[in-house]
Amino acid sequence: MLKPHRVVLDKVSSYTEEAAAFMRRRRHHRREFVRIRFQSGAEADLPEGTPEADRITEAARRLIELG
Amino acid sequence: MADVTGKSGGSGEIALVSAAERVLENLAELEPELVAAGIFNRQREPVAITSKSPAWSVEAAGLLGALGAGSGEGKLDSAHIALEGGEAFVVSESGLSLVAVTGRFVLASLTSYDMRMALRDAVRSAEVEPASEAENGGPGDA
Repeated sequence: MLKPHRVVLDKVSSYTEEAAAFMRRRRHHRREFVRIRFQSGAEADLPEGTPEADRITEAARRLIELG
Repeated sequence: MADVTGKSGGSGEIALVSAAERVLENLAELEPELVAAGIFNRQREPVAITSKSPAWSVEAAGLLGALGAGSGEGKLDSAHIALEGGEAFVVSESGLSLVAVTGRFVLASLTSYDMRMALRDAVRSAEVEPASEAENGGPGDA
Protein backbone atom coordinates (compact mmCIF):
# COMPACT_ATOMS: atom_id res chain seq x y z
CA MET A 1 0.00 0.00 0.00
CA LEU A 2 1.29 3.48 -0.94
CA LYS A 3 2.07 5.91 1.80
CA PRO A 4 -0.49 8.77 1.98
CA HIS A 5 2.03 11.42 0.88
CA ARG A 6 2.86 9.34 -2.20
CA VAL A 7 -0.80 9.38 -3.24
CA VAL A 8 -0.89 13.17 -2.94
CA LEU A 9 2.38 13.52 -4.88
CA ASP A 10 1.11 11.23 -7.66
CA LYS A 11 -2.08 13.22 -7.95
CA VAL A 12 -0.25 16.53 -8.08
CA SER A 13 2.19 15.32 -10.71
CA SER A 14 -0.67 13.86 -12.73
CA TYR A 15 -2.50 17.20 -12.70
CA THR A 16 0.72 19.00 -13.62
CA GLU A 17 1.25 16.69 -16.60
CA GLU A 18 -2.34 17.28 -17.73
CA ALA A 19 -1.87 21.04 -17.50
CA ALA A 20 1.42 20.88 -19.41
CA ALA A 21 -0.19 18.78 -22.15
CA PHE A 22 -3.06 21.26 -22.38
CA MET A 23 -0.63 24.15 -22.77
CA ARG A 24 1.34 22.26 -25.44
CA ARG A 25 -1.86 21.54 -27.39
CA ARG A 26 -2.95 25.15 -27.08
CA ARG A 27 0.41 26.43 -28.28
CA HIS A 28 0.30 24.05 -31.24
CA HIS A 29 -3.24 25.10 -32.15
CA ARG A 30 -2.41 28.78 -31.95
CA ARG A 31 0.64 28.36 -34.17
CA GLU A 32 0.38 30.37 -37.36
CA PHE A 33 1.78 28.92 -40.57
CA VAL A 34 1.95 29.37 -44.33
CA ARG A 35 1.94 26.08 -46.21
CA ILE A 36 2.38 26.02 -49.97
CA ARG A 37 1.99 23.04 -52.27
CA PHE A 38 3.52 23.20 -55.74
CA GLN A 39 2.29 21.58 -58.94
CA SER A 40 5.38 19.35 -58.79
CA GLY A 41 3.89 17.80 -55.65
CA ALA A 42 6.44 19.40 -53.34
CA GLU A 43 5.17 21.09 -50.20
CA ALA A 44 6.82 23.80 -48.13
CA ASP A 45 6.10 25.53 -44.85
CA LEU A 46 7.45 29.04 -45.29
CA PRO A 47 9.61 29.90 -42.29
CA GLU A 48 8.19 32.60 -40.03
CA GLY A 49 9.86 35.97 -40.30
CA THR A 50 10.89 35.70 -43.94
CA PRO A 51 9.68 38.55 -46.22
CA GLU A 52 7.63 36.10 -48.34
CA ALA A 53 5.87 34.57 -45.35
CA ASP A 54 5.23 37.99 -43.80
CA ARG A 55 3.73 39.33 -47.02
CA ILE A 56 1.46 36.30 -47.41
CA THR A 57 0.47 36.37 -43.74
CA GLU A 58 -0.42 40.06 -43.88
CA ALA A 59 -2.47 39.61 -47.06
CA ALA A 60 -4.30 36.64 -45.50
CA ARG A 61 -4.86 38.55 -42.26
CA ARG A 62 -6.50 41.44 -44.10
CA LEU A 63 -8.68 39.01 -46.04
CA ILE A 64 -9.72 37.11 -42.89
CA GLU A 65 -10.53 40.36 -41.08
CA LEU A 66 -12.88 41.34 -43.91
CA GLY A 67 -14.75 38.10 -43.44
CA MET B 1 -7.49 20.17 -68.25
CA ALA B 2 -8.07 23.15 -70.53
CA ASP B 3 -7.52 26.73 -69.50
CA VAL B 4 -11.05 28.15 -69.47
CA THR B 5 -9.95 31.72 -68.84
CA GLY B 6 -8.52 31.97 -72.33
CA LYS B 7 -12.00 32.23 -73.81
CA SER B 8 -12.69 35.69 -75.11
CA GLY B 9 -15.90 37.21 -73.74
CA GLY B 10 -19.33 36.13 -74.94
CA SER B 11 -21.04 32.92 -74.01
CA GLY B 12 -17.87 31.26 -72.67
CA GLU B 13 -17.39 33.98 -70.10
CA ILE B 14 -21.06 34.01 -69.11
CA ALA B 15 -21.02 30.23 -68.73
CA LEU B 16 -17.93 30.47 -66.53
CA VAL B 17 -19.44 33.16 -64.31
CA SER B 18 -22.70 31.25 -63.80
CA ALA B 19 -20.80 28.01 -63.19
CA ALA B 20 -18.51 29.77 -60.71
CA GLU B 21 -21.47 31.24 -58.83
CA ARG B 22 -23.16 27.84 -58.69
CA VAL B 23 -20.10 25.98 -57.39
CA LEU B 24 -19.50 28.65 -54.74
CA GLU B 25 -23.06 28.17 -53.50
CA ASN B 26 -22.48 24.41 -53.39
CA LEU B 27 -19.20 24.91 -51.56
CA ALA B 28 -20.90 27.09 -48.96
CA GLU B 29 -23.39 24.27 -48.34
CA LEU B 30 -20.60 21.70 -48.05
CA GLU B 31 -18.46 23.81 -45.73
CA PRO B 32 -20.36 25.12 -42.71
CA GLU B 33 -17.23 26.95 -41.53
CA LEU B 34 -16.83 28.82 -44.82
CA VAL B 35 -16.84 32.58 -44.29
CA ALA B 36 -16.29 33.79 -47.85
CA ALA B 37 -14.94 32.46 -51.12
CA GLY B 38 -14.16 33.66 -54.60
CA ILE B 39 -12.99 32.37 -57.94
CA PHE B 40 -10.39 34.39 -59.81
CA ASN B 41 -9.00 34.16 -63.32
CA ARG B 42 -5.35 34.14 -64.34
CA GLN B 43 -5.24 37.95 -64.26
CA ARG B 44 -6.50 37.76 -60.64
CA GLU B 45 -9.78 39.35 -61.63
CA PRO B 46 -12.83 38.05 -59.76
CA VAL B 47 -15.09 35.69 -61.71
CA ALA B 48 -17.48 35.22 -58.78
CA ILE B 49 -17.29 35.97 -55.06
CA THR B 50 -19.60 35.30 -52.13
CA SER B 51 -18.54 38.25 -49.99
CA LYS B 52 -20.62 41.42 -50.02
CA SER B 53 -17.55 43.50 -49.24
CA PRO B 54 -16.13 45.20 -52.35
CA ALA B 55 -12.67 45.13 -50.79
CA TRP B 56 -12.72 41.34 -50.47
CA SER B 57 -11.78 40.65 -54.09
CA VAL B 58 -8.99 43.25 -53.89
CA GLU B 59 -7.53 41.63 -50.78
CA ALA B 60 -7.94 38.14 -52.24
CA ALA B 61 -6.12 39.25 -55.38
CA GLY B 62 -3.42 40.65 -53.11
CA LEU B 63 -3.11 37.28 -51.40
CA LEU B 64 -2.82 35.54 -54.77
CA GLY B 65 -0.11 38.02 -55.74
CA ALA B 66 1.77 37.45 -52.49
CA LEU B 67 1.53 33.69 -52.95
CA GLY B 68 2.75 33.99 -56.53
CA ALA B 69 5.76 35.96 -55.34
CA GLY B 70 6.31 33.63 -52.38
CA SER B 71 6.25 30.52 -54.56
CA GLY B 72 9.38 31.64 -56.40
CA GLU B 73 9.95 29.63 -59.55
CA GLY B 74 7.61 26.81 -58.51
CA LYS B 75 4.06 26.81 -59.84
CA LEU B 76 1.51 27.18 -57.07
CA ASP B 77 -0.97 24.34 -56.71
CA SER B 78 -2.54 25.21 -53.37
CA ALA B 79 -1.86 27.06 -50.15
CA HIS B 80 -3.10 26.98 -46.59
CA ILE B 81 -2.52 29.91 -44.27
CA ALA B 82 -3.58 29.45 -40.65
CA LEU B 83 -3.83 32.55 -38.48
CA GLU B 84 -5.36 33.12 -35.08
CA GLY B 85 -8.49 34.74 -36.52
CA GLY B 86 -9.20 32.15 -39.19
CA GLU B 87 -7.73 30.24 -42.08
CA ALA B 88 -7.29 31.04 -45.76
CA PHE B 89 -7.12 28.43 -48.50
CA VAL B 90 -6.13 28.81 -52.13
CA VAL B 91 -6.40 26.18 -54.84
CA SER B 92 -5.28 26.90 -58.42
CA GLU B 93 -6.12 24.84 -61.46
CA SER B 94 -6.79 25.36 -65.17
CA GLY B 95 -6.04 29.06 -65.01
CA LEU B 96 -8.51 29.64 -62.17
CA SER B 97 -7.89 30.13 -58.46
CA LEU B 98 -10.35 29.55 -55.68
CA VAL B 99 -9.70 31.57 -52.53
CA ALA B 100 -11.63 30.70 -49.38
CA VAL B 101 -11.67 32.03 -45.83
CA THR B 102 -12.87 29.70 -43.09
CA GLY B 103 -13.10 29.62 -39.34
CA ARG B 104 -10.21 28.22 -37.28
CA PHE B 105 -9.45 24.49 -37.04
CA VAL B 106 -11.33 23.23 -40.08
CA LEU B 107 -10.27 19.95 -41.64
CA ALA B 108 -7.67 21.31 -44.04
CA SER B 109 -7.40 18.34 -46.40
CA LEU B 110 -11.18 18.02 -46.71
CA THR B 111 -11.57 21.75 -47.37
CA SER B 112 -8.84 21.70 -50.03
CA TYR B 113 -10.42 18.64 -51.64
CA ASP B 114 -13.88 20.26 -51.75
CA MET B 115 -12.37 23.42 -53.20
CA ARG B 116 -10.53 21.47 -55.91
CA MET B 117 -13.69 19.57 -56.83
CA ALA B 118 -15.63 22.86 -56.95
CA LEU B 119 -13.01 24.39 -59.23
CA ARG B 120 -13.05 21.37 -61.55
CA ASP B 121 -16.83 21.48 -61.61
CA ALA B 122 -16.75 25.14 -62.67
CA VAL B 123 -14.18 24.41 -65.38
CA ARG B 124 -16.14 21.40 -66.66
CA SER B 125 -19.42 23.33 -66.68
CA ALA B 126 -17.87 26.29 -68.50
CA GLU B 127 -16.47 23.98 -71.16
CA VAL B 128 -19.88 22.44 -71.89
CA GLU B 129 -21.51 24.19 -74.83
CA PRO B 130 -25.28 24.78 -74.49
CA ALA B 131 -25.99 22.67 -77.62
CA SER B 132 -24.12 19.60 -76.38
CA GLU B 133 -25.65 20.03 -72.94
CA ALA B 134 -29.13 19.86 -74.52
CA GLU B 135 -28.16 16.73 -76.43
CA ASN B 136 -26.89 15.00 -73.31
CA GLY B 137 -29.76 16.20 -71.20
CA GLY B 138 -27.52 18.18 -68.86
CA PRO B 139 -24.11 17.66 -67.34
CA GLY B 140 -23.67 14.37 -65.52
CA ASP B 141 -22.15 14.26 -62.07
CA ALA B 142 -19.47 11.68 -61.39
